[in-house]
Amino acid sequence: MPTTTPLLQIENLTTSFQTNDSAVQAVRGVSLHVNHAEILAIVGESGCGKSVTALSILRLIPIPPGRFESGEIKFNNQDLLNLSEADMQKVRGNDISMIFQEPMTSLNPIFTIGDQIGEAIIQHQNTTKGETRKQTLELLYKVSIASPEIRIDQYPHELSGGMKQRVMIAIAIACRPSLLIADEPTTALDVTIQAQILNLLSSLKQESEMSILLITHNLGIVAQFADRVTVMYSGKIVEEASVDSLFESPMHPYTRGLLNSLPKEDNKSKLESIPGSVPHPAYLPQGCAFHPRCKDAMPRCQKQPPLSNLKKESTHKVACWLYEECVKEVR
Amino acid sequence: MTTMISIRSLKKHFFIHDGFLSRNTKTVKAVDGVSLDIDHGEILGLVGESGCGKTTLGRMSINLIEPTSGEVFFDRVNILKLDKQSLNKLRPKMQIIFQDPFSSLNPRFTVERIIGEAMMVHGLADKSNLRSKITEIMQKVGLPNSFMNRYPHEFSGGQRQRIGIARALSLSPRYLVCDEPVSALDVSIQAQIINLLQELQEKENITILFISHDLNVVKHLSHRTAVMYLGQIVETAPTEILNKDAAHPYTRALLAAKPSTNPKKTNNHVSLSGDVPSPLNPPSGCHFHTRCPEAMDRCKTEKPTTLELAKEHTVKCHLYN
Repeated sequence: MPTTTPLLQIENLTTSFQTNDSAVQAVRGVSLHVNHAEILAIVGESGCGKSVTALSILRLIPIPPGRFESGEIKFNNQDLLNLSEADMQKVRGNDISMIFQEPMTSLNPIFTIGDQIGEAIIQHQNTTKGETRKQTLELLYKVSIASPEIRIDQYPHELSGGMKQRVMIAIAIACRPSLLIADEPTTALDVTIQAQILNLLSSLKQESEMSILLITHNLGIVAQFADRVTVMYSGKIVEEASVDSLFESPMHPYTRGLLNSLPKEDNKSKLESIPGSVPHPAYLPQGCAFHPRCKDAMPRCQKQPPLSNLKKESTHKVACWLYEECVKEVR
Repeated sequence: MTTMISIRSLKKHFFIHDGFLSRNTKTVKAVDGVSLDIDHGEILGLVGESGCGKTTLGRMSINLIEPTSGEVFFDRVNILKLDKQSLNKLRPKMQIIFQDPFSSLNPRFTVERIIGEAMMVHGLADKSNLRSKITEIMQKVGLPNSFMNRYPHEFSGGQRQRIGIARALSLSPRYLVCDEPVSALDVSIQAQIINLLQELQEKENITILFISHDLNVVKHLSHRTAVMYLGQIVETAPTEILNKDAAHPYTRALLAAKPSTNPKKTNNHVSLSGDVPSPLNPPSGCHFHTRCPEAMDRCKTEKPTTLELAKEHTVKCHLYN
């Protein structure tokens, strides 16, 4: 464990949504931390709660129907869940900012690119019009948009998908945040553009030492760009490790299943798939949510396994009864 | 092996009017002179970025979109010249699976009707044996019988895609166009569907045109791969050779851009600069020269022709002249 306090520390976060019949928990007791100048990836399939975790950090969950049932989100030692709305507004876009999945729909079609980037700057810094424009141009240059002097006065429909995502990144880094949340930043983009955007993000990270919380379902992106990774399944973290450790020795049967279901580099044999599908969050199985699909399931799995360290000195954590023996030794 | 599908200089141009009363029209050359052969029982992977015309090509190959010019032969029959009646007779032999399992199933039909409708229309089943035929097909794609009277909204993405596959298979097609069948699905479900397609293809020896932007999936599944860029096929080769010795700079860039799942193996980031040019106004000469790291002077003016590098390996690039 690093001695310095992490930039962001989430403890036991539970976020639920009220439906007609009952409250459905989308995030169920998630604890994680993001260190300074680190890229933490959250991977998982759709509906596993990775986006809700991210939106909870910025308190962008509509309340009601959403509700934070328990937990705290500590950012620079202040609990974001206890801040007033006005104080929270100062954090959003300034200390923590976010890039969304769909660059096509997250820009306002009736304002120019310059207006939208400038808005973020004016909101948090008292700058004059001329200064704002100067900073906006610098930002466009920084995110490698060709001929920024022309682009600044254009509207979103005049830009391609990759350029829109660059503009989104420019808005997000306008106030030099210390944490950038990227929610599937490249899912809507083509592979060659995806590589450009990811290269841009990692060079920005290196320059300004900001931390990135990268949410994705693409394990290739995780392997290439993240430092640490947490795997989520049905609202819970099932495994947490450094990227090297996770891809070298995945522990949780779900993580193994995910890695096995990817087409291999030099193997044409049948893919190993995980049978069944993700359970509906309102009808979760008892205990470990993965056990109905797990080939190593045992009677114990009716009870929820805790997320614990595998070895002393190690930061590889897993929530599975298979490793109970190792975990006991650590304690 | 004999050729199943033969496409000859196929073109599709869409005309766009500048304004309501304006006489100016612009042309989008979605598919611009594509020739391609698919053998009996072969899976041909078709890759390319969005907007390169791969879906249009796939749909034209079964006459769902009418081409501007060119020919498509299905087992030596030119399907573009057929009259309506004979085309309808041929329709069951060529089927398509769509990308989005959420919008390609009628929400007001039960699974039974979705799968059974086409068989009734084409007279492949009557009221007495329809149910048993549907049961058989559902078993084939791994759907339990109890689903028969349920509606699409009750199913997950993977299950819906199975329904879509069952619908296509209900007519026992010999040629199947799979238009990004797994890109809307999660990884663990994706593997299930890929396995299913592979099994079905091996068992029934169906010819498949597999359209995808995911090179890993295409590499796993297809025997041969064709790469498309701005309406043209720039390279075709047996999948193994394409992945080892890609000739076209665009193919190489595509392969390099795909992130490897091995953290130790860092990508040699030769990522392409810039975006795909607008098909309204494609670059002169070789369409790729604006982004090509190896572009020469002649690429700007001269259109490259298709060259045969080795058996079954063709490329459209001036580098190999």
